[in-house]
Amino acid sequence: MALAFDEYGRPFIIIRDQESKARVRGLDAQKANIMAAKAVARVLRTSLGPNGMDKMLQSPDGDVTITNDGATILEQMEIENQIGKLMVELSRSQDYEIGDGTTGVVVLAGALLEQAEVLLERGIHPIRVAEGYEMASKLAVDHLTHIGHKFDFSPDNIEPLVQTCMTTLSSKIVGRCKRQLAEIAVKAVLAVADLERSDVNLDLIKVEGKVGGRLEDTELVYGIVVDKDMSHPQMPKEIKNAKIAILTCPFEPPKPKTKHKVDIDSVEKFEALQAAEKTYFNDMVRQCKDAGATLVICQWGFDDEANHLLMHENLPAVRWVGGVELELIAIATGGRIVPRFQELTSDKLGKAGLVREKGFGTTKDRMLYIEQCANSRAVTIFIRGGNKMMIEETKRSLHDALCVARNLIRDKAIVYGGGAAEIACSLAVEAAADKISGVEQYAMRAFADALDMVPMALAENSGLQPINTLTAVKAQQVKEQNPHLGIDCNDVGTNDMREQNVFETLIGKKQQVLLATQVVKMILKIDDVISPSAF
Amino acid sequence: MQPQIILLKEGTDVSQGKAQLISNINACIAVVDVVRTTLGPRGMDKLVHDDKGTTISNDGATIMKLLDIVHPAAKILVDIAKSQDSEVGDGTTTVVLLAGEFLREAKPFIEDGVHPQLIIRAFRTAANLVVRKVKELAISIEGKSMTEKKSLLEKCAATTLSSKLVGGEKEFFAKMVVDAVTSLGADSRLNMIGIKKVQGGTMRDSFLVNGVAFKKTFSYAGFEQQPKKFDNPKILLLNLELELKSEKENAEVRLSDPTQYQSIVDAEWNIIYDKLDKCVKSGAKIVLSRLAIGDLGTQYFADRDIFCAGRVMEEDLHRVATATGASVQTTVNNVIPDVLGQCELFEERQVGNERFNIFTGCPGGETATIVLRGGADQFIEEAERSLHDAIMIVRRALKNSNVVAGGGAIDMELSRFLRQHARTIAGKSQLFINSYAKALEVIPRQLCDNAGFDATDVLNKLRQKHALASGEGALYGVDINSGGIIDTFASFVWEPSVVKVGFPLLSACISIFWIVNLHDDRLIIGSFLLCACLVTLHGFRSIYSPELSHMFFLVTSSALRNN
Repeated sequence: MALAFDEYGRPFIIIRDQESKARVRGLDAQKANIMAAKAVARVLRTSLGPNGMDKMLQSPDGDVTITNDGATILEQMEIENQIGKLMVELSRSQDYEIGDGTTGVVVLAGALLEQAEVLLERGIHPIRVAEGYEMASKLAVDHLTHIGHKFDFSPDNIEPLVQTCMTTLSSKIVGRCKRQLAEIAVKAVLAVADLERSDVNLDLIKVEGKVGGRLEDTELVYGIVVDKDMSHPQMPKEIKNAKIAILTCPFEPPKPKTKHKVDIDSVEKFEALQAAEKTYFNDMVRQCKDAGATLVICQWGFDDEANHLLMHENLPAVRWVGGVELELIAIATGGRIVPRFQELTSDKLGKAGLVREKGFGTTKDRMLYIEQCANSRAVTIFIRGGNKMMIEETKRSLHDALCVARNLIRDKAIVYGGGAAEIACSLAVEAAADKISGVEQYAMRAFADALDMVPMALAENSGLQPINTLTAVKAQQVKEQNPHLGIDCNDVGTNDMREQNVFETLIGKKQQVLLATQVVKMILKIDDVISPSAF
Repeated sequence: MQPQIILLKEGTDVSQGKAQLISNINACIAVVDVVRTTLGPRGMDKLVHDDKGTTISNDGATIMKLLDIVHPAAKILVDIAKSQDSEVGDGTTTVVLLAGEFLREAKPFIEDGVHPQLIIRAFRTAANLVVRKVKELAISIEGKSMTEKKSLLEKCAATTLSSKLVGGEKEFFAKMVVDAVTSLGADSRLNMIGIKKVQGGTMRDSFLVNGVAFKKTFSYAGFEQQPKKFDNPKILLLNLELELKSEKENAEVRLSDPTQYQSIVDAEWNIIYDKLDKCVKSGAKIVLSRLAIGDLGTQYFADRDIFCAGRVMEEDLHRVATATGASVQTTVNNVIPDVLGQCELFEERQVGNERFNIFTGCPGGETATIVLRGGADQFIEEAERSLHDAIMIVRRALKNSNVVAGGGAIDMELSRFLRQHARTIAGKSQLFINSYAKALEVIPRQLCDNAGFDATDVLNKLRQKHALASGEGALYGVDINSGGIIDTFASFVWEPSVVKVGFPLLSACISIFWIVNLHDDRLIIGSFLLCACLVTLHGFRSIYSPELSHMFFLVTSSALRNN
C-alpha cells in the first residue's frame, strides 16, 4: 500500500508493516486474478476427453504420479497463488460432491473468465457480468433438465449404468478395458447400495491393488481381500465353510490398564507364574475351538508361543489386521467383533464359504481372500497392473466410475456426453440472451461462448479441427433439433451420442455449470487484493 | 547552558495542532477508501491474504479487522465497525463510510481555522435531529400475522444479503434465515443456531435442519454395524469416557500371588461393562459423549442395536441437549428417564463427502442448524459471515419491528430535512449542518458509483423527488438495476428498524468527535478520549432513550479498551 502523506508532506503509517504489503486494486486486480485462474485452467485443458493427455507430477520426495484426473493434478501441483487455490478447491468440490468431471469444471471456469475479461475491457461492470452469468447458468441448468433423459435399471439390467461408467473411464489410461472395469464398478456399487433409501456408502467398497499381472486380471471379490497371510507357514492355505472369530484382543495374557507389578521372590512363584501363562494360552485357544471357530482373525499380534499352539491345535490364524479391514470383514461375514476371549460364542462367529491364501507370481507376496460371505454388503475391487503408478491411476479412475454409478442410483437421469449437452445449452442460452434487455445480454452471450469451449477442447484434444468441427455440429443440432449430437472424438462415424452410448450424469453436469459460475462470480467480485508482497 | 527538561519518555513522538488534526482526518479517509467499494448490491469484495490464510469478504468489519490498522485515529474507525458488528451485526460498511464522509466535510472548515468544538456542536445537533427524524419516518410492522411478518422479515434479510456473494440466491437464504430465527423465538441465544460448513455442492444445496446436525465423529471398528436410522429414539448424553482404562491415574497394583492376576483384569473389565450395561438399560437408543467412546463400547453398542458417537463437540452436544430435552450426564449411575432426550427422527446422512448425524423433530424446538454448501472454503466462510449478518438483522427486526426504505432513500430524506432545518438557523452552524446534510448523501452516491452509474445524475433526480412539497418522494432511492430512481419501499428494499440506520449515524458521529478532538497524537490521546466520551455521553444521555445511550456506552467503552 502506498504511503499516505498529510497536507504538510509528512508520511504517516496507517497499516502495520505498510511498506511490505502489496496491493492491487480495481480493474488491474480483476485482470491479474483472471490471468492466474486462466493459467490453471490451461494446464488442465489438454486432459479433457477420451483423447486427453496425462500429466506426470513429481513430488518433493521423488514419488511420481501420472494422471489425467483434474482434482488430483491440481492437488499435487501445490499452487501458491490465491486465485489458483480457488480453482483447486473448485475441482475438489466437484470431486467431493460428484466424483467425476473435475477437469471439465475447471476448463469451463477458465473459459468463463476468459470471456469475462473481454467484457471487462469494454468497460462493463464486473458485477453485471457476474449477474448475467448467473442468469445464464440458471437457464443452462433448466435446459439440462429438459434435455436430460430418465432411464430405468434394475439389478438384472445394469446396461445403462455400465454405459455411463464407460464414458467416464474412456478418458482414462485404463480405457482399453473400460467395459470390464465399468461392470466391476457397477456391480460393486449395486452390492453395497441401499436401493430403497437411494443411499450408497462407498466406504463399504474396498479398493486394493497389487503390482503384477495385467489390468485385465482386475476382479471384483464379493468379500474381502486382505494384504496379510496366515501367521504360520504350515497352516492350511484354504479353508472351506470357515467360521471366523474376529478378535480385538491379543493372544497374550491380558494386561490390566492400571499400573501393576508382580513380585516374584521364590522359585515356586516363578513356576506358578509360568504355569499360569501357559494356561492362559491354552484357555484362549480352547475358547476359540470351543466356540467352533476354524479361523481366527486378530487385530493385534500374538506371541510365538501362541502361534505355535494355534498351529498345533490346527487353528489357522491371521494377525495384525487393521481396524477398518476388521470392520469390513465383520460386516461381510456377518460376524461380531469380539473384544475378549470369554465372550466368544458360536453366534458371534462370521461365516465365509471360502477363505484362501493366494500367492502372486514369483514374489512371496500373498493375500488372503475371504469369499462367499454370508452377507455380501462389503465388497473388494482387486486391481492388478504393471506398475505402482498404473495401479494408483486405476484406483482413481475406478473411484470416478464408482461415484458415477452412485450418482445414477441417487438420481436416475443422464445427459449426452461428447460436448452434446454443452452445445445444446450454449444454443439455448444464446437464444434466451436476445430477449434480455440490459448489459446482461452481453454476459449471457459470453456464457454461451464459454460453454462452446468445452466441446472445442474435446475436438482439439482429439486432433480434429476445433472450429470446423464445432460449427458443423452446432449447425446440425439447430437443423435437426437434436440435442444428442456431440463431437465424434473417436472417429466412430456418427455424431449422435445416443448411438455412441456416451452418457454423463445429469447431476454431474448441472453441478459443473453451477460450481463454475459460482467461483467465477467470486473471482469477478474481487476488486482489491492485499497481500504480503513477494520478495 | 540551560538544563534540558525531559517531560516524556524518550522516543515519544509529539505533534499537535491543526496539522495533526488534518493528518488524522487524512488517515481516516484513506482507510474509508478501502471499504468504500464494498457498499451495496453492486459492491465488490476484497481479498486479504495474510499468514493466517486468505479471506475474501464484503463485510466492512471483517475487512477492517484484517487490515491490521495501527494509526491511532484510524483505529477508532475499526472500533466503530466492530461495535456495530457486535451490536447490530450489519451495516458495518455504512457506519465507516458515514464517519469518513463527515470527516471529509469537516476538513475544509478546520483548514479555514474554525474551532473544532464548534463543528462538533453543530454535528451533534444535526445527529440529534436526524435520529429523531428516523424514528418518525420508520414504519412499524408490528401487529401483523405470523405469515405476514415472516414475509416482511424475509424482505429485510434479502436486503442485507443482496450485497453479499450469496446475493444471487438471496430469496433462498433469506427464507432459510427467517425460518431458522422464527423457529427459535426472539429471546433465544444466538449459539442455538448452528452453522455447519461442508465443502462441495452449490449454494442451493444448503439446507436448514430443524434440529441439530453435526459431522460424523471419529469412529472405531464396529461402528458400521450400528443402525443408522431411528424413529423416536431416546437419547442419552454423556460427559464420560467409555473406554477400558485405568480408573486412577497414579494407582499401582502389587501382586504377590500370580493367581490373583486374573481378578485384577476382570475387575477392570467389569467396571467398563457395568458402565456400558447401564447405558443400555437406560433404554437409550442413541448414546453421545463429549469424550471418547472406545472400540469396546462401539462394538458393545453395535451388538445391542444402539448408535453411539464419541468426541462430540461440546457446543453440538449442548445443542442436542437443548433440542431434545436431555441433560448431559457425568455418570451412568442412576440414569432416570427424565434425563433422556427424545426426537422424532435420527438419521446418518451423506452430505457431500461427509456423513452427518441429523436429529429432527425435536420437542425442545429451540435449535436450528444451517448446513452451508459451496465451491470453495473461502466461499463458505464468506457465506457464513453473510448469513450471520442476516440472522442478526432478523433477530433485531423481530424485537423492534420498524423498517425504513433502503437504497439510500432514508439518507436522502434525512439530508433534505437537515438542509431545510439549516435555513432556520442563524450563525456558523448553518454551514456545518449543511455539510452534515451533504455528507449523508454519500450512501446513495456510493451505491451509484459502485454500480457504475452516473452518481451526479441520479442524485439530482433523487434530490428533486425528495424536495417535492407533497412528500410523496420521500421513499425514493437508487434503482440498482436500471440506474434510475425508484420507490425503494414499494420494491421491498428495506432496512430494518431504527437500530440499523440510527446506530450507524450515532456512532459515526461519535467517532468524528473523537477524531476532531485528537489534537495531539499518542501523548494525550487517553485523556482526550476520556474527555470526549464524557462530553458526548453527557450530551446524549439527556436526549436519547436509554437503549441508544447504552449502545453509545458500548462504543465508547470498547474504543477505550482498545486504546
